[in-house]
Amino acid sequence: MRRWARREDERLLTGRGRYVADIRVPGCLDAVFVRSGVAHGVLREVDCTAAREVPGVAGAWSAADLMDLPACPHAAGDLQDLPPVPRTVAVGLSPEEAVAGREWPVLVKDRVRYPGEAVAVVLGEDRYRAEDGAAEVTFRIDPLPAVVTPSAAAEDSVRLFDGLSNIAFEGSAGRPIDEAVLQGAAVVVEARYRQQLLMPTPMECRTFLAVPEADRLTVWAGHQMPHRLRRELAALLEWPPDRVRVVVPDTGGAFGSKSALFPEYVAVAFLAVRLGRPVRWIEDRLESMLVATRGRGQDQRVRLAADAEGRLLAYELTIDADVGAYPHLAVGLPMQTAWMATGPYTTPQVRATLRSVLTNTMVTYPYRGAGRPEATVALERSMDALAHRLGLDPAELRRRNLIPPASFPYRTPTGRCYDSGNYAAALDLALTTLDYDGWRAERARRRADPAALPLGIGLACYVERSGGEPGGLHEFGGVEAREDGTVVARSGTSSSGQSHETVFPALVARTLGVDEARVRLAEGDTGEQPQGVGSFASRSAQVAGAMLVHACALLVGRARERAAGLWEVPVGEVAWCDGAVHAGPAVMDLAELVKLTGPLRVDDRFAAGMAFPFGAHAAVAEVDPELGTVRVLRLVAVDDCGTVLDPVVVRGQAFGSAVQGIGQALYEGFAFGEDGVPLLAGALLDYLLPTDAEVPPIEIRDTRTPSPGTPLGAKGAGESGCIGTPAAIVNAVADALRIADPGLLGTPLTPETVWRAARAPKLPERPV
Amino acid sequence: MRITVRVNDREYRLDVEPRRILADVLREDCGLTGTHLGCEHGVCGACTVLVDGAAVRSCLMLAVQCDGGAVRTVEGLAGRDGEPHPLQRAFSAEHALQCGFCTPGFLMAAAGALEADPAVGEDPERVAALAGSGICRCTGYEPIRRAITRAAREWPRPAT
Repeated sequence: MRRWARREDERLLTGRGRYVADIRVPGCLDAVFVRSGVAHGVLREVDCTAAREVPGVAGAWSAADLMDLPACPHAAGDLQDLPPVPRTVAVGLSPEEAVAGREWPVLVKDRVRYPGEAVAVVLGEDRYRAEDGAAEVTFRIDPLPAVVTPSAAAEDSVRLFDGLSNIAFEGSAGRPIDEAVLQGAAVVVEARYRQQLLMPTPMECRTFLAVPEADRLTVWAGHQMPHRLRRELAALLEWPPDRVRVVVPDTGGAFGSKSALFPEYVAVAFLAVRLGRPVRWIEDRLESMLVATRGRGQDQRVRLAADAEGRLLAYELTIDADVGAYPHLAVGLPMQTAWMATGPYTTPQVRATLRSVLTNTMVTYPYRGAGRPEATVALERSMDALAHRLGLDPAELRRRNLIPPASFPYRTPTGRCYDSGNYAAALDLALTTLDYDGWRAERARRRADPAALPLGIGLACYVERSGGEPGGLHEFGGVEAREDGTVVARSGTSSSGQSHETVFPALVARTLGVDEARVRLAEGDTGEQPQGVGSFASRSAQVAGAMLVHACALLVGRARERAAGLWEVPVGEVAWCDGAVHAGPAVMDLAELVKLTGPLRVDDRFAAGMAFPFGAHAAVAEVDPELGTVRVLRLVAVDDCGTVLDPVVVRGQAFGSAVQGIGQALYEGFAFGEDGVPLLAGALLDYLLPTDAEVPPIEIRDTRTPSPGTPLGAKGAGESGCIGTPAAIVNAVADALRIADPGLLGTPLTPETVWRAARAPKLPERPV
Repeated sequence: MRITVRVNDREYRLDVEPRRILADVLREDCGLTGTHLGCEHGVCGACTVLVDGAAVRSCLMLAVQCDGGAVRTVEGLAGRDGEPHPLQRAFSAEHALQCGFCTPGFLMAAAGALEADPAVGEDPERVAALAGSGICRCTGYEPIRRAITRAAREWPRPAT
């Protein structure tokens, strides 16, 4: 057996990993931001004078101070001010019209719009000195009323931007529902759900190290999209992109939270360039909990109609989405929920409408699942409610409506075209793995026994989207055969724990038929791979994996052509097998061929089709109605991500994702004080991430339906647990309590929420 | 303040401000960056190291408190010959790490417990307590439990 299961393991297990905070650069200054403790207010004054007198402090600036800085020798010095935070251009996440008139300044100029927004930055010789300086900065904010929920903010009684509505974006998918269909339906489930704000919480917070050298800037950052970061930084500095290099070393998790350009990054990059000194910002957990991006945050209303046999007739989803104080990063993200509102069912009429509403909270941005959990939770909770109303087994209700395998490609009423699937097979595997009938019998036994704690079974079928949106479904990279017999695979993706360094070389080795040990991956360095899209939307295996397979095919083609030239035979007579060219008795491996014919390198851009992973999750939960506690007894997650590149790696991500899904359902969330400031004084003791003690027995299984969108057939993996698991768990609790209104179970299902729900009106007794 | 600390069997004579936390001194003054800071308020466990054999959160301890003491970090886990520690082998074999940021903390907590009593690995509750001593956002903990159990099974037995 190999000593290390993954190539990443040796350095990460011996303390030789290199995360940004581990990189030592002589003379590097630490940046500390002075942050508002107020959610919404008018900034009256900031005074950094005393901070500048603190020993070891290299400088301290408010927004006004930065405007007064003299020009530096570089082009950036021409700017009279720090540029504002740019908007996300990719995949329509932040349209121009949503941003117009709503500038996101790097440091607050006149108005604080979310708690923790930075009013000054202090640079020190080390973190201690910078914090000493930050403690001496004084500022005054006159508080304004704060709005922290989208429904409150949508009323526009408190406006974040004077003269502009808080509703920054509106969208819809699907045609309006025919009211006659709803009126003629046997059952219409109506409910309201709140998808709470979540914190992605990678164990490493954000990191950004900027090292200027002559007229260039090298940035080290834990990041999912190094090329986007380079492009946006270069644009802000008004430099050509090749003067900025972004390197992503080891990154301690991301889950969506590390793919943008944040205000702090702009400040650090500009100060590094202006001062001609290396500067870094290593975010700490307390500030991360205030000012790192949040996920989810939707208030939803649904109407789900079916006939008496349980055939779905229409589904309507109305969303008020909380996008935080600035629309720049992801005001359009809730469209993911709208487009996926159809779910895995043949419902003929589906309509989703949304309003993206500004609130006095840090900005909402993709978090693992990114719009698909919100779609799945709303639909699947409604499906269980519908099953109870109809007196149908929830599994049977789903079976009657799942899109059948012969219907793919399937165009949904909300504008998606699902690529491939066998949704019923995933559901059946989940039920068998769970022992559905066995648990049904146990549920019945407990219902008959007044002394037994109630038990419920919850199901969730889901379909999600991976790869990205049209225009962003490509990746750059290539393969290079070297004289020494090694092969370099290049990719524009970026790993933050997903094992790319192990999985991609193995894929290239398999494809070329060469020894895996001879292949290495070059990734996460714009100096080595000049173009790239990145790792988000579960796209790395699906898109970059297919790109590498494509590049291998190009490389093989060129190798055969060269061999044909050498041997003076038609190229059709040159075969490729086991990493070597063959023609009759002649054989030559890649290294030999390169020695004889010169460097052999292929670089290309490859576009994939959108893919739609799917699956079925099932949970069994026991509830104590007196204590309001929930104990998950069993969780089964069946996921289908098409062709699997490395089953152990995919399983590991599915498992970890399911545990994040458990957190979403049961533990993670935070409340706000009257002043709009999150109640997080105890930091991670107040935001309950699952620990080992909260992990129930989980069984991960898979089905494999390849995507026709690439020759490789891989779909995205790793987000499934956040998509399927929360709905399954909430449904299990609703089933145990038999409550009539499913909307009473707002997540996270705290003991208080469950205790109250246990006292709510019950469903009528019905044999199920 | 001048202190002397043995870290991974090497003596460090340091001049540190009394307010500096052990983790920062290990990382910045000793150059041992394998110890990671995940929360800096004692909750996540990523910065766990052994001080005189006992697992401590190095973000909650001042370096000056270790004067005269012995600290062991993830860099000191492998044998002198570079042979991986049973826990390092087991964590890899069981895929008990993905991004690897929290991993040194789990390794050191488990190393302290297993070195004090290798029988820990035979008791699922004690293994669960170790896996529950920190926060990991990638693995879902089950592989960490399996790795600790596996390392205990492969623990070098004293010659009898």
